[in-house]
Amino acid sequence: MADLILEVDNLTKHYRAAGSFFASGTRLVRAVDGVSFAIEEGSTFALVGESGCGKTTITKVLLRLEEPTSGVVRFRDKVVHDLTGPDLRAYKGTVQAVFQDPYSSMNPRMRVIDIIAEPLKVHENLGGAALRNRVGQLLKDVGLSPTAAALYAHQFSGGQRQRIAIARALALRPKLMILDEPVSGLDVSIRAQILNLLVELQKNYGLSYLLISHDLAIVEHMSHTVGVMYVGKLVELASKEALYSDPLHPYSKALLAAVPQPDPDLPMAATVAGEVASPINPPPGCRFHPRGHHLDRAAIGDRKAIYDACIREL
Amino acid sequence: MSARTDTVLPTPDKKADADILLRVEGLKTYFFTRNAVLKAVDGVSFTVRKGEAVGLVGESGSGKSMTCLSIMRLVPTPGARIVGGEVWFEDADLLAMSEQDLRGYRGRRMAMIMQDPQTSLNPVYTVGDQVSEPIRLHLKERGERVMAKVMEALRAVRIPQPEVRVTQYPHQFSGGMRQRVVAAMGLTTHPELLIADEPTTSLDVTIQAQFVSLIKDLQRESGTSVIWVTHDLGIVAQCCDRVNVMYAGRVVESAEVRKIFKAPQHPYTKALLDSVPVKGKKKKRLYQIDGQPPALDRLPSGCPFWPRCPHAMDICKEQYPPKTSAGVDDFVHCWLAEK
Ligand SMILES: Nc1ncnc2c1ncn2[C@@H]1O[C@H](COP(=O)(O)OP(=O)(O)OP(=O)(O)O)[C@@H](O)[C@H]1O
Ligand SMILES: Nc1ncnc2c1ncn2[C@@H]1O[C@H](COP(=O)(O)OP(=O)(O)O)[C@@H](O)[C@H]1O
Ligand code: SF4
Ligand SMILES: [Mg+2]
Ligand SMILES: [Mg+2]
Repeated sequence: MADLILEVDNLTKHYRAAGSFFASGTRLVRAVDGVSFAIEEGSTFALVGESGCGKTTITKVLLRLEEPTSGVVRFRDKVVHDLTGPDLRAYKGTVQAVFQDPYSSMNPRMRVIDIIAEPLKVHENLGGAALRNRVGQLLKDVGLSPTAAALYAHQFSGGQRQRIAIARALALRPKLMILDEPVSGLDVSIRAQILNLLVELQKNYGLSYLLISHDLAIVEHMSHTVGVMYVGKLVELASKEALYSDPLHPYSKALLAAVPQPDPDLPMAATVAGEVASPINPPPGCRFHPRGHHLDRAAIGDRKAIYDACIREL
Repeated sequence: MSARTDTVLPTPDKKADADILLRVEGLKTYFFTRNAVLKAVDGVSFTVRKGEAVGLVGESGSGKSMTCLSIMRLVPTPGARIVGGEVWFEDADLLAMSEQDLRGYRGRRMAMIMQDPQTSLNPVYTVGDQVSEPIRLHLKERGERVMAKVMEALRAVRIPQPEVRVTQYPHQFSGGMRQRVVAAMGLTTHPELLIADEPTTSLDVTIQAQFVSLIKDLQRESGTSVIWVTHDLGIVAQCCDRVNVMYAGRVVESAEVRKIFKAPQHPYTKALLDSVPVKGKKKKRLYQIDGQPPALDRLPSGCPFWPRCPHAMDICKEQYPPKTSAGVDDFVHCWLAEK
């Protein structure tokens, strides 16, 4: 078994939301509720699930933007939330993120060189020609011309800005990259460019990815292992091959079946009734059970170990 | 059939085809800004038959929404203006009729579900009030019959417990339910044409599937024609009988759905299909369309796709390719097809 770069162990993140018109006092939002998974060095782990199921909250905890309510995150055996001082700084350089919207994630009035150089100045004290060379190389690595360094961010298209965002994330030679919907803000014809680039960079830089995408075809194309989330819970964890050929959890089945296939000869996407449950007062037991589907215990077979968590919820 | 050419003159045989509900011919809608004229829709032509679901696909900015708004004569003013073309709804040209006459069509015989349900619903009115508006306005119903129709509409879009829901406000509905309410508003008048502009982009996958199957059911039950605007090739394959592919303000290929997916003619259509990962099909590397979609104020001459086209020839850079007929309603604009 390959080494693990990241281990998430029983991670829980609850928020307090202000009371609403109907319920006074504060209410607990169970954004992430006891999630465990691990990412192998050099691999891509994907998190899928519908809006609000807790994917971005997990990344916030990993990036140390939020404290966990409970549970542990280990990066190469170090407990992420115990890191301080130089260790924390090193960690923040090692784990980088690229977000959905290349427009809001950078200042359009900054020059590209400054956008990319910012982390290098802070973390590596780089300057002068060394800095310019490094930025030039990064731009080349993401498929832009080094002359782009002198231009302003607003002079670039969405796809090019996403390349710039990737260059900035790569500047500190990270080991783990968090990709939160990295192409959903881009034009359809540009998405393949960025996905191909990410695959290439993973090889060349030896990166591990945590990919979040609502596009299950993209997840299948990019990832090695997939975690399926539903209302704060990880309901299934499986190799990509196993999940796509034989999903076990009823929600995974429903999710995969709901994707309309770009082939008119394939049957219409299947539907599952009901609304996505709320993380405030989620249904007891398996949070998917109100939508009328039940886990077939007999079908689980030797993948049982992975599903223990899910079975216990039933 | 051979008389069906790309002429924009209203020839008599245009009306001969009895099952054609909508025929868009040479539609042009431009934005007049201080610095430039932006040709958002620049000669769009396509046909919608009765009961047919027609897809309008293309990337963001290719002119899909402006085409739909032009058909409804709802282009944003000032700024945009329909400067040419015809939109035949059966035997009447919507673009040529008076605002008064148009009221017999818009909201009544044709309805549009907008891209963003948030903007179509007013947060300060109850859902019941909003759904009843088209019923009062277009169906001229009054009193108890209004509420009966509202219930019928909400039931048709599968809103559970409509009697409770009518008194609630939009923020008390989930995104998927709000989108269904917007659909209900469009469908109360039993329009013959429903235009759905990316109705599912803000919805989750399982909720999107519910909405798509709902529209398909309603279409089957009442024989409504639908224009599906989307950039999701999955929705196109599952929902549409015919597909119009748009690029830089024009329809570059129009064909029956199986033909689009199995034997696409236009290089852009082909590239688009190859560039998306497909469930269960292992592709080592995705086909990638290099370059970027063109900006309207800097359109390349000739075929606007040529800077990104693997087959571009000299003539492509000079002249826009003419329409090549490829079947009854099918056509493609590409110099390769001319050869
Ligand atoms: N600061 C906060 N305070 C209260 N609730 C929050 C906060 N941040 C997130 N939440 C809630 O936690 C849940 C999970 O949110 P999260 O952003 O992780 O979802 P997500 O899976 O990334 O969804 P999407 O696909 O829409 O990005 C949601 O119900 C959200 O409303
Ligand atoms: N108010 C506006 N002023 C100027 N240009 C506009 C305006 N609204 C839309 N456009 C331009 O018109 C073109 C077509 O837009 P639209 O029909 O909305 O595209 P789509 O729906 O295919 O994404 C785009 O290039 C867009 O930038
Ligand atoms: S006309 Fe020329 S450039 Fe345009 S799509 Fe056809 S071959 Fe390509
Ligand atoms: Mg998120
Ligand atoms: Mg649009």
